[in-house]
Amino acid sequence: MIGVEITGLTVTGPAGTMVQPFDAEIPLGTTLALIGESGSGKTLSAKSLIGLLPRGFKAEGAATVADTPLPVGRDDASWRGVRGRQVALLLQDPFTSLSPVHRCGDQIAWTMEAARGHRMLRRERREAVAARLAEVKLPEHVAEAHPHQLSGGMRQRVAIAAALAADPQLLIADEPTTALDASNQAEILDLLRAIQAERRLSVMLISHDLGLVRGRTDTVLVMQSGVIVERGETSRVLSDPQHPYTRALIDADPVVAARRGSGEAAAVDLDGRPTLTSAQGIVKTFGHRTVLHEVDLSVREGEIVGVVGESGSGKTTLARCIAGLEKEDGGTIDFAGETLAPGRASRTPDQMQIVFQDPYSSLNPMMSIRAILAEALAVAGRGADEVPAMLELVGLPAEIASRRPAELSGGQRQRIAIARALAPRPRLLICDESVSALDVSVQAQILELLSGLREQLGIALLFISHDLAVVRMIADTVVVMRDGRVVEQGDCAQVLTEPAHDYTRLLVAASTRENAPAGAGKD
Amino acid sequence: MTAVAPTRARSRRLPPASVLVSLAVLALALLAVVLGRFLFPDAMHQDILSSTLAPGEDGHLLGTDELGRDVLAMSVAGAASALVGPIIIAVGSMVLGVILGTLAGYERGWLDSVIGRWTDLLLALPVLLAAIVVGGVLGGGYWVTVGLLILLFSPSDIRIVRAGVMEQSARPYIEAAQMLSLSRWRVMFRHILPNVASLVITNMMLNVAFALVAFSSLSFLGVGVAAGTADWGRQLTDNRAIMFDNPAAVFVPAALIVVVAVAVNLVGDWIGQRLSQVGEEA
Repeated sequence: MIGVEITGLTVTGPAGTMVQPFDAEIPLGTTLALIGESGSGKTLSAKSLIGLLPRGFKAEGAATVADTPLPVGRDDASWRGVRGRQVALLLQDPFTSLSPVHRCGDQIAWTMEAARGHRMLRRERREAVAARLAEVKLPEHVAEAHPHQLSGGMRQRVAIAAALAADPQLLIADEPTTALDASNQAEILDLLRAIQAERRLSVMLISHDLGLVRGRTDTVLVMQSGVIVERGETSRVLSDPQHPYTRALIDADPVVAARRGSGEAAAVDLDGRPTLTSAQGIVKTFGHRTVLHEVDLSVREGEIVGVVGESGSGKTTLARCIAGLEKEDGGTIDFAGETLAPGRASRTPDQMQIVFQDPYSSLNPMMSIRAILAEALAVAGRGADEVPAMLELVGLPAEIASRRPAELSGGQRQRIAIARALAPRPRLLICDESVSALDVSVQAQILELLSGLREQLGIALLFISHDLAVVRMIADTVVVMRDGRVVEQGDCAQVLTEPAHDYTRLLVAASTRENAPAGAGKD
Repeated sequence: MTAVAPTRARSRRLPPASVLVSLAVLALALLAVVLGRFLFPDAMHQDILSSTLAPGEDGHLLGTDELGRDVLAMSVAGAASALVGPIIIAVGSMVLGVILGTLAGYERGWLDSVIGRWTDLLLALPVLLAAIVVGGVLGGGYWVTVGLLILLFSPSDIRIVRAGVMEQSARPYIEAAQMLSLSRWRVMFRHILPNVASLVITNMMLNVAFALVAFSSLSFLGVGVAAGTADWGRQLTDNRAIMFDNPAAVFVPAALIVVVAVAVNLVGDWIGQRLSQVGEEA
C-alpha cells in the first residue's frame, strides 16, 4: 500500500506561481528528501501539505495519506482534525515551536488529548507522556522541565515527541537539524530514522544540506525556483547527478568537496612569518560561569586560523575578546608586538575587523550601501569615491550602492559586510560563523572570496566555525575548542585527518557524517 | 533624516481612506491655525444685543455665545490656541525623550539610573493635578502650562526611546560600528536613532492627541488660557450655561477636539507603520 501520494501539487503566491505542479509518493516507512536552496519553494510545498501557507498563497492539487485525501488548498476549518493526526510538522527551531511557559510533558499531552477528544486521568497521562519520551530516548523527568531548561538536541526530541503524539502517518520535517550542532544533527536524524522504521511512518525531510540526506533518505527531489529538476533514489542522485543544478549543489557542499580532496586550502608557506596577534592565558567569566579557561591562540601575518568547536565552547567569546568587543578578565592580547588593554578603547579600526554571522542584522537597515561603505572608508581617511572599488573587490556591481540592505540577498549582504570590514585596511579579519547562515552554493562563493582576499591583500584571517568541513576548505592551521579550553591545535590537514584528541575525532566523524545509522545502509 | 524616504514601490500606494480623511482634517485644522486670525480678526467682538443666538439666527451660522460672540468665528480662531500648545508639548517632550532616552539606553550605568529615577518621579505625578497646582502657584499662563506639560509628558518618551535604543544596541550592526571606532555620538544619533524613528514619531503623534485633550481640560478648568482668548477648551467652560439655548456653542468646540485628536492618532499610526517598513524586506 502506498503511504502518501501527491498529485499535481502547485503553490501560487502574490508574485505568480511559486511551485510548479509536481507528483511524488512516499511509501510507508520511507523518507523523501526535498532539497533546494532558500527561496526554491521547498518549504512552501511542505506547508501546503499541512494547510499552513502564509496569507496570500494558495495551493492546488491533491494529496492522499493512506488513501484519505488531504484538504489541500481548503480553508483552516477543513484542516482541523487533519493536522497532528494525519500530518504533523517538525520545525527547524525547537525553541520557537515549543511554548516557553509550559512544561514539556503538558505540550505532548495536549496533542494526545486533542486526538482522543477527552482529557486523560493524571496517572494515565503521566504514563502516556513517559512512553512518548521513551520513544525519543528521553528520561521521564523531562516531562516536568520547561523548554529553556533543555539543550537544543533535547528540545528537538521533545518537539518530535509532541509532533508524533497523535500518531500521524506523514511527518514533515522542515530543516529539523539546521539549528543544532553537528554531533546533535546526526543523532536527531538517526532517531527519526529509527522511529520511522518502527512506526511505518512516511517522512518528508526538507533540507538544504546534502550531507545529511545521504544515507538517511530513500528518495530525493531536487527543487530549483519552484521546479523539480531531478528526482530519484538518493544514492543514485548523489553519486550520478543528471541536472547541472544538482551537480552544482553537490559540488558546493563542503563535505563532498572535502571527501574528493579538491576543497583543501591551498598550502601557503607560513614558516618564518612574524606573529601578528597572540592571546595568552585568556580568562573570561560571565557571572559565575567561566567560558574561557586560560586560552592561548596566535595568528601569523597572512595566516588563516580556523577555530572550531560546538556552541558554548567559547570560540566566539575568544574572538570577541581579541576584537575588544568583550573585556577579558585575565591574560594578555598582543597585536603587532604591542600589548592591548581589554576593550575597544585601546584598539584602532586598521588592526582588526569582524564579519558577523547574520548578514541580515549586521548592516544598518536604514542606511544605503553607499552610506555604509563611505562611513567605513572615512574611518581610514579614504573618500567615498572608493565605494565602487570596494564593491568590485567583493565581486558586486557598482549599481548596488544606492540600495538598502533589505533589497539584497543574504550572500550579497555578507559581501557588503566583508567590504565594510576591509575598508579601514585591517591586518586581521575575524570571521565569526560568517558563512553558516548562507546556502551551500553561496557559502562556497564567500569562502572563495575570503581566500582570494588573503592572497590579494595579504590579510590574516581568524575563522570561527562550528562546521569542520568549512574550516577544512579554508584554514592553514586549526584550533579545536571545547568547554572554554583548547583541546588540540596544529596544521589543519594534519589535525583533521589524524586527530589526536577524542573530541576532535568525534567532531570529524560528525562532520563527515560517516557515522551513518546502523541498518540504514551507507551509500 | 534620509530614513523618511520611502522605497519606490511603496510610495505609489495610496494610504487607506481613514488616513486620507484624517489628513484632510489636519490640513483644515492647520489652515485654521495659520489663517484664523486673518479670517476672523474680530472673532472676540462682543455684541450684547445679539447675545446667545441659536444657530442660523441673524446671519450667525452657528449662533453666538452669552456675550454675543460668533461661535463659528471663535471656533476657527480658537484653533491656534488649542493646537499650537499641544504640538509644542509633543515636540518638546519628544526632543527631551530622544536626548535623555538615547543616553540612558546606550550608555547605561549611573546615567541610566539617574534618568530612570527622574522619570519614575515624574510618572508618579498625576499630570492634570500637578499642572493645576503648579499653574496656581506660578500664576498660570499659556507658556508656563506648555512648559509644565512638556516636562510631565517626557517620561513616557524617555522610556520608549530608551527601550528602543537598548534593543538596537544589541544588534550586530552596532558592534560593527564600534569596530570602526566611531564616536558614541555618531553611533547613537546616526546609527541607532533612525532605527527608532518610527517609534519616536508614532509616540509623538499620540502625544499630540493626549496633549490636545489635557490642554483643553486645563483651559476648561481655567488654568493655562487666559479668559477672553479664543480657545476650544475655554469655549467649553464659558458656554456650559447656555448649552440648551445654543448647543452649537458647546458641541462644536468639543467635536473639534475629538475629531482632531482622532485624526492625529490615525495619521500617527499610519506614519509609524510606513517608517517601520522602510528597513524591512521588500
